[in-house]
Amino acid sequence: MKKIVVPGELLSSERKRLGSNVFVSNGKIYSKVLGISEDADEKASVVPLQGKYMPQRDDVVIGVVSRVIFAGYNININSFAESFIPRSAMRDDLKMGDLVSAKVDDINELKEADLGFPRKMFGGEVIEVTPVRTPRLIGKNGSMLDLLRQGTGCEIIVGKNGRVWARGGNLELLRKVVEFIDANSFKSNLTNSVEAFFKAEGITVSAPKKESAPFATSKKILEEETEVLNADEAIGEEENEVL
Amino acid sequence: MKVNDMSGRVKENMPDYKKDKKRVDGRKMDELRPLSIKVGVLPNADGSAYLEWGQNKVFAAVHGPREALPKHTQNPYKANVKVTYRMTTFSVPDRKRPGPNRRDQEISKVLSEALTKAVFVEQFPNTEISVFVEVIDSNAGSRVACLTAASCALANAGIPMRDLVAATGVGKAFNEIIVDLNKDEEDAPDAVDIPFGILPNSGEIVLLQMDGLLTKEEWAKVNEMGYKACKEIYEVQKKALQEQFVLSEVSEQNVEESVEKKEAEKKEIEKKESKKEAKEDKAKKVRK
Repeated sequence: MKKIVVPGELLSSERKRLGSNVFVSNGKIYSKVLGISEDADEKASVVPLQGKYMPQRDDVVIGVVSRVIFAGYNININSFAESFIPRSAMRDDLKMGDLVSAKVDDINELKEADLGFPRKMFGGEVIEVTPVRTPRLIGKNGSMLDLLRQGTGCEIIVGKNGRVWARGGNLELLRKVVEFIDANSFKSNLTNSVEAFFKAEGITVSAPKKESAPFATSKKILEEETEVLNADEAIGEEENEVL
Repeated sequence: MKVNDMSGRVKENMPDYKKDKKRVDGRKMDELRPLSIKVGVLPNADGSAYLEWGQNKVFAAVHGPREALPKHTQNPYKANVKVTYRMTTFSVPDRKRPGPNRRDQEISKVLSEALTKAVFVEQFPNTEISVFVEVIDSNAGSRVACLTAASCALANAGIPMRDLVAATGVGKAFNEIIVDLNKDEEDAPDAVDIPFGILPNSGEIVLLQMDGLLTKEEWAKVNEMGYKACKEIYEVQKKALQEQFVLSEVSEQNVEESVEKKEAEKKEIEKKESKKEAKEDKAKKVRK
């Protein structure tokens, strides 16, 4: 059964595979954060409900240029540590306040993120959400993201750092729906309620029934990658430690 | 009745609380004042909590983890948990002078040390987790109230922690071992006040201060009662944190209802418009 756990709450006294946001003390497994835990799972893990962004390898993030120096650009990625993109890595010149999408290549011991594949974002808007709730904006195999694209007609990139970039289409409606998903992220069957939400706005959308993740064929390779990577995260296919 | 305190002084004319085994405010010896906590009350903070404990009223706000500034305070091995305890000027009978005094600094320090034990500080190098606790109203035991509220605010901010911190006052007044002393009891001639904070699951003590004298037997009793009271407080904290999320589907009924409502509204508007048109038509006809 799913239940809400608080930090330090006992998850299991037995040996289990260790998922995310848990710690072991005296052979027992405890939760580290306030979140949702499924105790029937063979893996002990907690899905956090609140929290700031902690960069992880392979995350796709939306950054803001916070400082321009001779060697390159300081990028704010909504984490406590700033990242750096050398001037040589960018084709376009950046100004302070410009938006950049990038992939986290690596994390050092100070939790600073090395960014790869930086791309300047032209136009568009950014919607801020709670970073730990972004997997729900993507859904399994990107089902929620497809729904949002269908319903609003926006181009959307979901950054793992809690920034959603969108361009074109009905941005006002998108903002509303994203707020709705952010506020109800701990509830189940969210895709259906978002469908109903669109219906209330007078737009009919249908959740696509996909068998597999989409292939990266179009020009928007990075965008597609975002979907695949984040969808995997959403299902919980992370590297597992074994107790 | 005569009360004998540790110093051997004898105080006369003390009320006989022992006879009916009740305290000044009618509580039992191991009874807490009514405690209620609400989390997520301050939208600008990353995590927050509001606590009411008897007459004590406390706000706690957490910001961070964020870059520690000035830079020389940064520690590449761990985060600093920086607590700022502040009493509002109107929180005590005589106006408190604003600005941090010796007591405020001491409490900020001990609370910071207690919370550092609970947080996984080594996960956030070079950062600072700022905790601001503001006492709106006080009646003894404000530092334990602040610690209890601050740990809820930290959990609400999604910061990884070993455990919540539950704290209470324990001690002795009028020759009885009691928990959660109020101001009258704290001012008793033989009062011993012990702020007592623990990590409830592991039982580790993170805050322990004492003002007064106790015998070994009395201490054993204080210890036992303190643990029991903290477990009670822990349950309240847990409930407050879980309360903000009700695990259920977004009820489709509500959405359907809202759809129906919107349609009804539309119809009403149409009706009104048609009525208006009709009226206008009539007016036109009349003019003609």
